[in-house]
Amino acid sequence: MSPTEPLGNFKVEDAPHYDDVLQCMRCGFCLPTCPTYALTGRERSSPRGRVALARAVAEKKLEFTPTIKEEAFFCLDCRACTSACPSGVRAGEVMEVCRSQAHAFYPLGKMGKAFREFILRKMVPSPELLETSMLPTRLYQRLGIQWLVRHLKVLKLGPEWMQKAEGMLPRLEKPLRPQLPEVVAARGEKRGRVGFFLGCVMTLMYPNVSRNTVRVLSHQGFDVVTPKDTKCCGAPHLSEGDRETARQLALFNLDLFLAQDVDYIVTDCAGCGAALKEYEELLEERAEHDKLARFRAKIRDISEFLAEVGLRTEGLREVRASVTYHEPCHLCHAQGISAQPRQIIRQIPGVELREMAEASWCCGSAATWGLKYAEDSRKVLDRKLDNARATGVDILVTANPGCHLQLAWGVREAGLSQEVLHLMELLGRALPPD
Amino acid sequence: MISKTAIDHLAEKLGRDNVLHEKEDLLTLGYDSTPGVHHLPEVVVYPTTTEQLIAAMEIAEREGLPLTPRGSGTGLSGGSVPVKGGMVLCLTRMNRILEIDEENLTATAEAGVVTLDLFNAVAAKGLFYPPDPGSQKISTLGGNVAENAGGLRGLKYGVTRDYVMALKGVLADRGLIATGGKSVKDVAGYGFKDLLVGSEGTLGIVTEITVKLIPPPQDKRTILAYFNDTRTAGEAVSRIIAAKIIPSTMEIMDRATINCVEDYVKIGLPRQMAALLLIEVDGHPAPVAEEAEGVRRILEQVKAAEIHVARDAAQAASLAAARRTALSALARVSPTTLLEDATVPRSRLAETFDEIERLTEKYRLKVGTFGHAGDGNLHPTVLCDERDHDEMERAHAFYNELYGQVLAWGGTVSGEHGIGLAKKEYLARQIGPGGVQVMKRIKQTFDPQGILNPGKIFDEGDPCTQAHVEEGFRVSH
Repeated sequence: MSPTEPLGNFKVEDAPHYDDVLQCMRCGFCLPTCPTYALTGRERSSPRGRVALARAVAEKKLEFTPTIKEEAFFCLDCRACTSACPSGVRAGEVMEVCRSQAHAFYPLGKMGKAFREFILRKMVPSPELLETSMLPTRLYQRLGIQWLVRHLKVLKLGPEWMQKAEGMLPRLEKPLRPQLPEVVAARGEKRGRVGFFLGCVMTLMYPNVSRNTVRVLSHQGFDVVTPKDTKCCGAPHLSEGDRETARQLALFNLDLFLAQDVDYIVTDCAGCGAALKEYEELLEERAEHDKLARFRAKIRDISEFLAEVGLRTEGLREVRASVTYHEPCHLCHAQGISAQPRQIIRQIPGVELREMAEASWCCGSAATWGLKYAEDSRKVLDRKLDNARATGVDILVTANPGCHLQLAWGVREAGLSQEVLHLMELLGRALPPD
Repeated sequence: MISKTAIDHLAEKLGRDNVLHEKEDLLTLGYDSTPGVHHLPEVVVYPTTTEQLIAAMEIAEREGLPLTPRGSGTGLSGGSVPVKGGMVLCLTRMNRILEIDEENLTATAEAGVVTLDLFNAVAAKGLFYPPDPGSQKISTLGGNVAENAGGLRGLKYGVTRDYVMALKGVLADRGLIATGGKSVKDVAGYGFKDLLVGSEGTLGIVTEITVKLIPPPQDKRTILAYFNDTRTAGEAVSRIIAAKIIPSTMEIMDRATINCVEDYVKIGLPRQMAALLLIEVDGHPAPVAEEAEGVRRILEQVKAAEIHVARDAAQAASLAAARRTALSALARVSPTTLLEDATVPRSRLAETFDEIERLTEKYRLKVGTFGHAGDGNLHPTVLCDERDHDEMERAHAFYNELYGQVLAWGGTVSGEHGIGLAKKEYLARQIGPGGVQVMKRIKQTFDPQGILNPGKIFDEGDPCTQAHVEEGFRVSH
């Protein structure tokens, strides 16, 4: 049921719950885990500080000021504080809600609003539009313009984020979604039937990763159903504070996947996985509880899934490589999945896993944060790269497209020799040829 | 209100980034980890050198601002809450480890160094800094010194004061003080160093600390025992001590605490048990084996429900880490977590548990108790809701009566958290009017204007102190 009375100085719609901010007892255990506190040493840019600000708004000690808006977006939403909090405070989620409040308090100008709505409400929800929009980029790369731009440093003139965004783009293949059959049959002894949630960034930027995910699932004895109509999971909308569009997308995906005859719903994108697992809360007042619970019970990250059903290692080929694993925040902190990816890596014949220091410290990508705060993001990334470099491994493995983009860019910029791979690409190398 | 000129002047001396005065910053620098106490300063500065600190103090004097030193704000008695506004001196950016002296076995660090960072730095050189307050991952050495922080290893290794060899700091008149040194023995004159430790920033601002280091224990054994009632656990503790075994750690958690901690760490703690003891013995391998055996024998004699020995160092570490989360984990249960720091002579432990149980029932409260059983230092924690006025009244009555008994047994109102704002009245009960008078005279000598952390440890007969505390709720009444 929706509240009708506003909580303190918040707007009624999508306000934090008072109990959630009261829960913080200010022990400060979150402080050493927060990348933005590490950057600034400023209490208000820490989880404890941010929750205190939200509490002050709730208790009418403070208006929802531009500074709170700034802090809501400066938070990486990496959820490291959630993992560290013994009291169960979820500062990242409180800030996500504050992002939505920020839009209510400080509406964008006409142009900005039109642009934001175009991206979040028209482009991202439509797989077809997204695919078409990537076409010019692919042409740009194919025709050699990218090479020219990068080497002549034309973009040095532009704003830093544009230059970084350009630099981060991997070489784009054709999107995977239109190419992937709706059903790929299990190989060997069949173990079940899974739905594959193919995320937007995966199909557009990392089609090869998800191609490998499907190969792995099929090799492991699962029929793989990838519904063509799948829409964006809503994570970008939650991150940008557009909770309403996120709900509409969530409702669509909920019905779409519950209509499939599948035992599990698997994704290879940590960001999607975290969002899908949060549908239950997001749609609390908009869908039947039972439906949400059934959906929630089926969602698995690919590594979580493989560890749960047990990886069939017969027939896997040797992959001679040393690797280290960078934990995506939305896997380890948002979903609590930390041991499973390592377990899978260790099961690949020939692979040696060397742990890096601070494996679960954010890489500084964090959706669009890495572009909005390019300079801060660089510092967070440097810390990560130093730790990765110190391991001296051949391959840096991760499990989320945001981290993948950031790390690959960082490795390239720093002139490191390490290859950056999604866990499924690494496992894909061990599969026998199709 | 601090003047715009003063802000500019501060920024000039300390740098823009080291001076904060926006409302959002002030709001988040007016609390520590103590429930219910919060007050806005007028300005917060982050000196990076002693010169900058002095410059800031000079400007504060001109503006008539009192000074409250602060580290990471993890204190549990309100010591760093700027209860009279003014200037907060945040020392977290004076955070260099200056020296690790392997010949004299000392380390010298600035006040803002994080406790665990110092521990790790000396461990890398094969040395050991034992004090380990619950918040060691973020607490600062300066804060540890100000509150004379304890920790899990207090039983065998002592507390912060036992390791402080020398201090440097700035007095209220901005004169520098240097006291103590690297000499193992030092009886020259009054022990200012010992006076400054635990003075909660009321006598001077400590900027640099030299601590004693020791060789780390070579071996360690971790034992976990479960009990069907808390009294037996208390008895086990007293008997272990009486058997002349001094474990490095002897920690207790009651059922409420076990369940909250297990909700967070999920390492399979027994939810149905009334209490558990986490016991560690360390030292040279031969006595460690002997002491571990002795502990086990006593646990069997008192009929502990189950006795387990940790498989390996990793499991032992996860148990200690779990215990460290106890307080914060208890905060899951209710919006407000009122924590106390009662400490009794160890022979009284079992009775103290009985008393806590009796009072919990009498005042119809939800209480989780954990603490450093081996030190007789318990943290009975009332899990309540500050919006429920009646419940808060009962909580205060609970502590009032409990402290009455604790003092009657010759205990103390604070084992390791300090007095700060939260326990001023209890202190007065413990040391009496004469004791408070002496403390005030010492304060007067060091700080005649009363500008250093005013309103802490004892009341100055100024009703303001109370009015500034958040509406409708005080910890210590």
